[in-house]
Amino acid sequence: MITFENVTKRFPDGTVAVDDLSLQMPDGRITVLVGPSGCGKTTSLRMINRMVEPTGGAVLLDGVDVRTVDPPALRRGIGYVIQHAGLLPHRTIVDNIATVPYLLGWDKRRARDRAMELLELLGLPATVARRYPYQLSGGQQQRVGVARALAADPPVILMDEPFSAVDPIVRKSLQDELLRLQGGLGKTIVFVTHDIDEAIKLGDQIAILRQGGKLAQFDRPEQLLATPHDAFVESFIGVDRGIRRLSFFPAEELELRDDTVVPAAATVDAARQAARAAGESWLLVVDGERRPLGWLLADALPAAGHVGELDLAPYGHPFQAHSDSLRAALDSAVLSPAGRAVGVDQDGGVVGTVSQAEIGEVARGRAGAQAERSEADA
Amino acid sequence: MSDWLDWDWLASHGELFAALTGDHLYLSILPVIGGLLISLPLGLACVRWPRIYPPVLGTTSVLYALPSLALFVLLIDFTGFEPLTVMIPLTIYTLSVLVPNVVDGLRSVPDPVRQAATAMGFAGIRRLLQVELPIAVPVIMAGLRVATVANISLVSVGAIIGIGGLGQLFTEGFQRGFPTEIAAGVALIVALAVAADALLVIVQRVLTPWSRA
Amino acid sequence: MTIFELTWRWMSDPEQWQGPDGIPARLIEHLWYSALALAIAAAIALPLGLFIGHTRRAAFLAVNSANAARALPTLGLLMLVVLAAGVGLLPVLVALIALAIPPILVNTYAGIRAVDADVVDASKGVGMTGMQVLTKVEMPLAVPLILLGLRTAAIQIVSTATIAAYVSLGGLGRFIVDGLARRDYELVAGGAVLVALLAVVTQAAFVLLQRTTSAKVRGT
Repeated sequence: MITFENVTKRFPDGTVAVDDLSLQMPDGRITVLVGPSGCGKTTSLRMINRMVEPTGGAVLLDGVDVRTVDPPALRRGIGYVIQHAGLLPHRTIVDNIATVPYLLGWDKRRARDRAMELLELLGLPATVARRYPYQLSGGQQQRVGVARALAADPPVILMDEPFSAVDPIVRKSLQDELLRLQGGLGKTIVFVTHDIDEAIKLGDQIAILRQGGKLAQFDRPEQLLATPHDAFVESFIGVDRGIRRLSFFPAEELELRDDTVVPAAATVDAARQAARAAGESWLLVVDGERRPLGWLLADALPAAGHVGELDLAPYGHPFQAHSDSLRAALDSAVLSPAGRAVGVDQDGGVVGTVSQAEIGEVARGRAGAQAERSEADA
Repeated sequence: MSDWLDWDWLASHGELFAALTGDHLYLSILPVIGGLLISLPLGLACVRWPRIYPPVLGTTSVLYALPSLALFVLLIDFTGFEPLTVMIPLTIYTLSVLVPNVVDGLRSVPDPVRQAATAMGFAGIRRLLQVELPIAVPVIMAGLRVATVANISLVSVGAIIGIGGLGQLFTEGFQRGFPTEIAAGVALIVALAVAADALLVIVQRVLTPWSRA
Repeated sequence: MTIFELTWRWMSDPEQWQGPDGIPARLIEHLWYSALALAIAAAIALPLGLFIGHTRRAAFLAVNSANAARALPTLGLLMLVVLAAGVGLLPVLVALIALAIPPILVNTYAGIRAVDADVVDASKGVGMTGMQVLTKVEMPLAVPLILLGLRTAAIQIVSTATIAAYVSLGGLGRFIVDGLARRDYELVAGGAVLVALLAVVTQAAFVLLQRTTSAKVRGT
């Protein structure tokens, strides 16, 4: 556990970068420090591994004040990932990853084996091992940076805007990668970013700091989206926090109907009957494996023939009925000409459909229940 | 032009050329090594204590401006008509070229790299030797190449006081009014300089397989 | 201490201050040859460097000329020139100029190249013609490096002119060369000290020039 006890950082020219910050960052979780520039998030991060020393208060690592530990020794036990990776340009990738193990005196072979393990873990091909940093893309360099931080298996990893310098597609894959790794490793991670969406996606706990280094709110992401403490937090979170909040509600609660689903082999008559029975004007046509093909308007059905021969309206994209969120379901519904979301299972087979209105109702119910719960907690 | 050159004379004096080339190398390479050995710690000190850099730079700058012939003759009083008289000023010139290169090279280490190295637990001397100096090699090498080529050329001026390696071909040739000999000297010196430069480029490629250039 | 005693004794001898072999005469010779060579070299190399820097054509010429010039032994070159064209001012002057062109060329080119590409881009975007960009943007910003090139060339010329005394050019180098020939070490030391002083003063003058112009550039 990392504890900030009334930590303040005042620079010689008078600027206060961090102002009386008190926080507890739990073990095995990702704590995100987020805020506008000048809010002291990076300064706070760097006080954990003593790259910056506080002028007031103390930073405790598992109850021990970090100032009592010799800095190089402290740092060899903490992983550090920064924006431009900072890979040593004169060493090969494998030697870069093995840097801290070498410093700790590991046997060379053991260190290299460990480095190769991590290459694989981070999804990098083994051929990259003997290359030099300049030969890798930005995204690859960042992955190597993360691998390097993990090499000596430190319990704590500090990450300072590690994904800010790469393009959005690469950034998304790196974020997913981090979540996947964390699922397996359970490190205590402190992550700094200026991007609230990144914070919400990655953080188990989020600390929003305001300019001048004061803590504005420290909460789980769902709480943050549900109840921002003040105008600053609300405006920092951004406009569509209501919809973003929906990504924390599971879609599993939705009741999906399959009576509006019709196989492509069915006759036009059967389809007309099904529509009447369900009381709906749109039907979802599926193939032999129950995979969605498109939507059909019952009123526009011809006199005879099979459903599969007709022109179908595109179904947009489906949501995973058991693992996705209400937000994904809502998105699917909005994209559908029928105003109904298409829920599929892991193999892509249709489970059923649900209307936009029903999704909205479930969301309201959820939000209400959560509000009551947080009032009870408070 | 070929009427100018006495090819027979050239062909028959291989031994002389070899001997003088040997002297010339001795006179030009030792100062480079000496200059390097002094400029490395000096440059390091200037990076560690930035306040001494301006006066150091100023001093080497002034020394570099002094004409080589003047320095050579001024030293005669102290070191006589000996190789050292030529090698000391050349060492000073080498220093003047290399110190800024050492400083710039060390300062060229990208900040993220330095930060990452510190954060991983590299401290002090270790960081210097294992991280900063290796990264500074290309810049230092650039200065080394300049200094080496310049030295090879400057040694010949020493012929005026009798210690000039291949420069001896100049003074002899001039006294006899024999351009072939002078041309031979020019050609050999240029060839030596080009070879030395090429060698240093190869050395750099070997030392720094990691740099793009 | 001996050198300075020798030099002092030599300089305080009033005879040294008279006649065509006297200190003032030689000093003026040296200054004149150097200034002339610098002016002509600049007249050739400055426009050339500006052109190459601005248009990016023939860049290899600029970059490699400096390297080539560094490898050429000045003494040998001067001798060949004199043997070919006879003793006289012109041949030696040509050699001095030729050796001074590379530093001016390289530094002028580098100075123009060092101007931030974004600044040049913005200037073109505002509607400046190529010539305007060169004169109003690139040249003023390149001044520090151009001055450095001129300073390097000046020092080079002072030094080469000293050596040229060996091939019968006048100037302060004559004291050294004649002194060595006659084994008159007072003369040698005196000449060396004077030449060294001239070099230092030249350097200082250019440094001062650099300081004052850079202050102006910063002020704009």
